[in-house]
Amino acid sequence: MVKKKKAVSKTSVRHSSNGRGQRASQSPTASTQRAYAILDYRLEKPSFSIRQIREGEEVRYEVTGDLNAPVPPIRESKYLDKKQSLEIYRWMLLNRKMETALENLYKQGKVVGGVYFGLGQEACSCASAYALHADDWLGPMIRNQGSLLVRGFSARDIMMQYMAKAGSPTKGRDASSHFGDIAKRNVVAPISTLGDLIPVLAGVALGARLQGRNIAVMTYIGDGGQSTGVTYEGLNFAAVQDLGLVLFVENNLWGYSTPSDMQFRVKDLAERAIAYGIPGVIVDGTDACQVFDAAHEACERARRGEGPTLIEAKMMRMKGHAIHDAAEYVPKPLFEYWRKRDPIARFENYLLGRKWMTAQENENLIADVERELEADRDYAVASPMPVPESATGGVYCDSSCHEIRPKYGAPRVRTTKSGMAMPKETAVHLN
Amino acid sequence: MPQLTYLEAIRQGIWEEMERDPAVFCIGEDIGIYGGAFKVTDGFLDRFGAERVIDTPIAESAIVGAAFGASLTGMRPVAEFQFMDFIGCAFNQIVNMVAKAHYRWGAPAPLVIRGPSGGNVHGGPFHSQNPEMWFVHAPGLKVVCPASAYDAKGLIKAAIRDNNPVIFFEHKYLYRRVKEDVPAEDYVVPLGKARIAREGRDLSVITYAAMVHVALEAAEILAQEGTELEVVDLRTLSPLDREAIAQTVRKTNKVILLHEDVRTGGIAGEIAAIINEEAFDDLDGPIVRITAQDSPVPFSPPQEEYFLPKVSDIVREAHLLKAY
Repeated sequence: MVKKKKAVSKTSVRHSSNGRGQRASQSPTASTQRAYAILDYRLEKPSFSIRQIREGEEVRYEVTGDLNAPVPPIRESKYLDKKQSLEIYRWMLLNRKMETALENLYKQGKVVGGVYFGLGQEACSCASAYALHADDWLGPMIRNQGSLLVRGFSARDIMMQYMAKAGSPTKGRDASSHFGDIAKRNVVAPISTLGDLIPVLAGVALGARLQGRNIAVMTYIGDGGQSTGVTYEGLNFAAVQDLGLVLFVENNLWGYSTPSDMQFRVKDLAERAIAYGIPGVIVDGTDACQVFDAAHEACERARRGEGPTLIEAKMMRMKGHAIHDAAEYVPKPLFEYWRKRDPIARFENYLLGRKWMTAQENENLIADVERELEADRDYAVASPMPVPESATGGVYCDSSCHEIRPKYGAPRVRTTKSGMAMPKETAVHLN
Repeated sequence: MPQLTYLEAIRQGIWEEMERDPAVFCIGEDIGIYGGAFKVTDGFLDRFGAERVIDTPIAESAIVGAAFGASLTGMRPVAEFQFMDFIGCAFNQIVNMVAKAHYRWGAPAPLVIRGPSGGNVHGGPFHSQNPEMWFVHAPGLKVVCPASAYDAKGLIKAAIRDNNPVIFFEHKYLYRRVKEDVPAEDYVVPLGKARIAREGRDLSVITYAAMVHVALEAAEILAQEGTELEVVDLRTLSPLDREAIAQTVRKTNKVILLHEDVRTGGIAGEIAAIINEEAFDDLDGPIVRITAQDSPVPFSPPQEEYFLPKVSDIVREAHLLKAY
C-alpha cells in the first residue's frame, strides 16, 4: 500500500514540474493578481495608526487618524438568543468586577506579585469561550480570566491564585490565570512565554482525533505574542493536520509598551491566515455578538474536522501591562476613543434596547454578581497560605497520583497485516 | 535468544508498545514513508498507518507541543527528534511547558522525546552533541541514556509506560555497532536504576551511553595487568541512582567519572558532589574526571578524536589513581 503511494507521489512530482514548465512557456510575461477573502464582521473599521516620534532626545508615540467616529451599534448575532446573551453579559460583568476586586485586594496588600487585567477585552474572553462545548478545550492567556470563569472556574479560584493560597488551583505554586484542569473543565494552563499554547492546543485536538473525535480547541495570542516563532509553528502544524484550532488573535494595540505598528507590517493580522491556508476572520473585539458568531462558526468548522480558523479581534488593552504599569506611553485620545466602545456598556445598552432585560433586572443582575464576588473574596482572603514544605511535592507523577487513560474512548487502531520485518540495510545519515 | 542491534532493540521496543497500547503513537520528521533518518521507525507506517505514524513540518516546538497536548487527552506520544542537537529549538516547550506541568497544575505528561545524540561519527558541531545535562537540570523530566541493546529496549518500553515526560538519548555511534542477545519476551528496565556492567574490586568507573563500551575496553587492558575495574552504567541520568554510586565507591574506594559530554556542567560534577555527600569517608583517592573537552564537537576526525575521551585516557588515569 505504501509502495503504491510512493509510486503515485513520484508521478505527481513529475506532473507538477511539467505543469509549471508549460505554464511558464505559454505566457512568459503575464502575471496575475490573486484575490483572497477575509471575512469581516465589523460595523466600523477604525482607521488610525500609532507611530513612534523621535524629536531630539524625546521619543513618544503619536496617534493619527479619525478618533471622532461615532460608536457603532452591536451587530445582532445570527445565533445567540436572549438567554444566552444574558449569560454572556453576566460573565462579562463577573469578569470585570472580579478584576476590580483584585485591584482592591492588591491595594490592601493582599495580592502576591502583580495583577493582570482584561479591561476592555471582556467581550472577547467571555463570548469566545461561551462558544465552546463541554468536550472542547480552552487555553487562556494572561488576560483571559473571563474565559476561565466561563469554563467553570470561580472567581474564588482566580483570587486565591493571586493571593498564593494553599487552596488555589495550583496550591500556591503558580499565579494568576496559570492553571488548568484536564479532568472536567478541559483547560490547559498557560505559561508566561507567548504562543506556546498554540501547538499544545493543536495537540489536544490531535489526541481527540486519534480517539475518533473532532473537537474544537481554542486559544489566544496577542498582537505582540504573534511575533513569536512558536506561533507560526503551532498554527502551521494545525493547518497541515486539519486540526480544529480556533485561534483568537487579540489585537489590543499594545504588547506591553510596544504598539502593534512596531510588531508587524500587515494591515490586519487576520491576513496572516492567508499564508497558513486557513480562513481568517475579523471581528470587533468589543462586540460580544460578533465575537460569539465568529467563534461559533470556527468551532463548528473544527467539529466537522475541517481545520483551524484565525480570528482577529480588534480592541484595546485599557490598562497597563499589569497593575504596576500606568501605561503613560499610550496617547490619551486612544483611551477616549476606546472608552466609548466599552464592551460591557455597549452590550448592556443593546440588551436594554432589545428589551431582553429591564433596568431593574440589570440592577438585580449586578447586585447578584457583587454578592457572589463578596462571598468569594471573603473565602479567599480567609483561606490559609500553603505550608512551606509543599514547595517540593508533585514534581513527578507517580503511578498512584494519576490514572492515565484516553479521554474520548479507545483510540482507533488500524493495523495492516504487515509484520515487523528487519529494517532494510539502507544508507543512513552519519552511521 | 535473538541477536539485536541497539537500533533494532529500540525499534522493537516502540513497536511492541504500539501493539500493546493503542494510546501510543509516533510523531516526528520523516518518520513515516522514509522510516526516520536512522530508520528507527522503518516499517511502522505499513503496520500502524499514517494516523499513528505522523510526519510533521520541520517544527520542533510544534512536535513537542502537539505531543504534550495529545498526552493531556490520555495518549502516549513518542516524538522523534531527527538529531538531539535540534532539541534546542523546542527547549522552551520542554522545560517550561512540559516539565513544569505536573508540578504547577497536576497535569501528567506521559510523553517520550527520543532521538540520536553523541559523537564519534564525524557529524560536526550540530550532529554530535550530548545535550542531556540541559534536561537533567530541569525538574520534572526524566533523562535516559542507554548503553546496551538489552537496556535500550527495556528502557524505551519503561519510558513509554512512564507517566512523566522522558527524554531518551539514543547514542548514534551504538546504533549498528552494538549487537547482543535480547530476550524475545516482554520486559522493562526500570528508570532510575544503574547496573554494574563489569564487576571489579580495585577502581570504579561511573559512566553511561557509548562511554560504557570505552570503559569496558579499558577494563580488559587493565585486567591483563591485574587491575580489576568496576564499570557502573548509570542508564538514566534523571533520576540518578545515588545508591549505586555510593555502593561502588564503598567497594573500591577509588573512582573515575567518565562522560562524552563536555566537562563543565557535565554529570561528573554532580556525581562528585553526591560522593562527597554519601561516601566521602570511603574515598582513598581524589575523584578523577575524564570527559570531552570544553568546546563544541569538532568535525575533522583528528580533532574529534582529540576531543573525545579514549581508552588510553582511562588506562592512564587508572594507573595514576591506583598508585595514589
